[in-house]
Amino acid sequence: MAAAPSSRPFEYLESLPGTVFFKLYQQPSTALAIFRRMLPDLAKCFVMALLYLKQPLPAADLEVWVQSESLKERDNALSILGRLHILSNTVTADNVRAYMVTDPFATSLRNALTGADQTQSFGVLSHVPSGSEVSIAGLDEYARRQWEGVLGYMVGTGGLGTQREVTLSKGVKELLQAGHLVEIRDRRVEITQDGFAFVLQDVSTQVWHILILYVESATAIGMDSVEVLSFVFLLSSLELGKSYEKNHLTSKQLRMLTDLADFGIVYQESPDAPRFYPTRLATTLTSDSSALSNPILGALSGPTGDPSSKAGTGFIIIETNYRVYAYTSSPLQISLIALFTTLKYRFPNLITGKITRQSVRRAVEMGITADQIISYLSTHAHPQMRKHNVSRSTSNQAGIPPSVLPPTVVDQIRLWQLERDRLKATSGFLFKDFVSLAEYEAPCRYAEEIGVLAWKSDQKRMFFVTRHEQVAAFLRSRK
Amino acid sequence: MNTIDATEHYETSAHDRPPSLLTIIVDTNPHAWALLNPTLPLSTAIANILVFLNAHLACNYANEVAVVASHTHKATWLYPVESTTTRNSSSKDIDGDITMRPQAPSPPAPSTSINKYRPFRIVEEQVSSNLHALMTSTTPESLSTTTSTMMAGALTLALSHINRRTIAWNEAHGGDITNPNDPPNSSSNNTRGTPESTLQSRILILSVSSSTGSAHQYIPIMNSIFACQRLHIPIDVCKLSGDAVFLQQASDATKGIYMALEEPRGLLQYLMMGFLPDQRSRRHLVLPTRVDVDFRAACFCHRRVVDVGFVCSICLSIFCEPLGDGVCLTCGSRLDMGDYGAKPAVVARKKKKKKVKANGPSATGTPTPTPTPGP
Repeated sequence: MAAAPSSRPFEYLESLPGTVFFKLYQQPSTALAIFRRMLPDLAKCFVMALLYLKQPLPAADLEVWVQSESLKERDNALSILGRLHILSNTVTADNVRAYMVTDPFATSLRNALTGADQTQSFGVLSHVPSGSEVSIAGLDEYARRQWEGVLGYMVGTGGLGTQREVTLSKGVKELLQAGHLVEIRDRRVEITQDGFAFVLQDVSTQVWHILILYVESATAIGMDSVEVLSFVFLLSSLELGKSYEKNHLTSKQLRMLTDLADFGIVYQESPDAPRFYPTRLATTLTSDSSALSNPILGALSGPTGDPSSKAGTGFIIIETNYRVYAYTSSPLQISLIALFTTLKYRFPNLITGKITRQSVRRAVEMGITADQIISYLSTHAHPQMRKHNVSRSTSNQAGIPPSVLPPTVVDQIRLWQLERDRLKATSGFLFKDFVSLAEYEAPCRYAEEIGVLAWKSDQKRMFFVTRHEQVAAFLRSRK
Repeated sequence: MNTIDATEHYETSAHDRPPSLLTIIVDTNPHAWALLNPTLPLSTAIANILVFLNAHLACNYANEVAVVASHTHKATWLYPVESTTTRNSSSKDIDGDITMRPQAPSPPAPSTSINKYRPFRIVEEQVSSNLHALMTSTTPESLSTTTSTMMAGALTLALSHINRRTIAWNEAHGGDITNPNDPPNSSSNNTRGTPESTLQSRILILSVSSSTGSAHQYIPIMNSIFACQRLHIPIDVCKLSGDAVFLQQASDATKGIYMALEEPRGLLQYLMMGFLPDQRSRRHLVLPTRVDVDFRAACFCHRRVVDVGFVCSICLSIFCEPLGDGVCLTCGSRLDMGDYGAKPAVVARKKKKKKVKANGPSATGTPTPTPTPGP
């Protein structure tokens, strides 16, 4: 399964120490963005229920609030809240285990909701002299051009020349290299396996990926990760089509602004302009994957300059006989589709091809996984496919979320991948040369119980474990 | 090798979480708020509602809200409203409808000291300014004529807005747009209520008036309730004062939440805990529901709330007293009233004699399971 859209920023945030969270949560926009983007539904309910309580809520009360069938969801929600340092365990006055929302987060979220914010964390609107505003369409065009430029640089479509050449700054190229998305070999850009995974993701996941890379690299050159992250979350809370003042920003944030403008995440007329505009890439940062079907993100990946692309979301039609029709003329999209399809014909606005065993195997050999192909196809599925499949599958399988792609194609792509995946490597430790069967059996059973046993052979008196510390301790203790 | 099974690929859309649309109907009946004023003034209640609206908007980037005021003589929108009345002619869409965009009503001199997430501020500014306009337009004369609230009108407004947004959302996301009024799985055994892939809508009614004055709206209210039931739109009811006979039925029929607040000052906490979870989260939560629902209906002839009534056997209209000429007022069917109006002398004669020929055809036609014990 392709990674959940929020997983990467979540993993990064989770790895941060608690003090960073404490500083991050001082800012209401950060609290709001993390609340909206990182938490599952149930966790949001918990936070909101606890937010305006004066006393901590006893854990037993919270537990009876959740239905008994949904224990898994509840534990998941509570563990995510704990890992993000939002919910803390305390005890009430009469020594009962209880939950409460931790303080900088609670205060900031309350401030965000009531508007009692003193830190200007939601940006300051700038008053543009009328006539010189940048339209939303203009911003979308700018964001699309820059982002496709970045992707095109990675995939190597720059030479096709059908598009206006986008000049990428040195910083962008270095960042892509630092993130191991591309490699420079003999002064030629070559996309890596991570890069393939990256280009096939949906746009909002890509933007997060880039931003996390940026935060990591910024920390490496000595910028404060809190400051960088706070600014990212600030950007996510701005409104599209409005311009914002720059003079409240620190010098580091101004530098970030210039860097992010190269990716098309923000727009400024010139580096010295007194104001900046967030583009849709920035303002949809806190939306989850349903914003993919946003008209503009569709336009981002869809046919270039085609006015009808605003209405639709995707452009790929797949039939149950593995034929693919893609209504696009973007060299980037064509080269992406060509990664795992055998292309047949190309028309001014349409390419056709077929997903075959050879084409999928070629893609898998390049390091692309079946899940990436499937998620790319379903992300960019044509509205007609969504409509068709949604209406069909709700009629016969109530309750199961309908799949956009034909199930037979999805299964077959997976099976083709499995053809290659016959070996699975597990790193670990082999225990062998046991003198007697009894000596072999005891540690083997112990390893199985603690769940580290990967393989065993009673005949050869060998077993293989993924972790050896506990088994070794067990063996020592028996001697 | 065994990782492929038939169910796995359905998870691809598990992360697709459609946004939800919350429509709040605020009962702004001044009579009832005047009674509530010592415990919970309207201004405090509105402030709490605004925080609650913000919390709903905070939950998802694409979440939407709408606020309807149910006033004494009309039901009106508080949010969203069209930005300016002068642009009426230009902002019509292809259907000739006026688009209601949550646009800022060009606030006079936006104070830069307030730093607030912009969607929150737009909602807040519109709701408070429209409510203010509504209150200033209310004259003492208009209040003296009625003490009830236009709940039926407000429900209808909310439903039409939900319908409109659902169609628009489906159009934008390639859903089923052929018949949005038809729930795609109304006949199947889907117990979850709403289909997963469309805009999730719900209605929250903040009720203060008592129902006695609104019995004349019984039919439109029940029709709205049945529409919600069919469209899988839960109606949540938050009862601050008064008694709401029909609203209990509304939340019961639509699987919504009914809460009568014992302590109206804690409104925000009630809202946050009870009413914020959307349909998806509600599946996992134990919800506050009411077991003893008041199922009383109002009669069609005098709009009285009745405990025992008379039902037309053809169209199921309810009447509080037997019809004079035996003709149903709703469908016009001639009903054989039998001997309903006869004097209770029947009982008296039964006491005297055991076997007596009953004097009406209806009395003989009715079989008595246990014979009257003899003296």
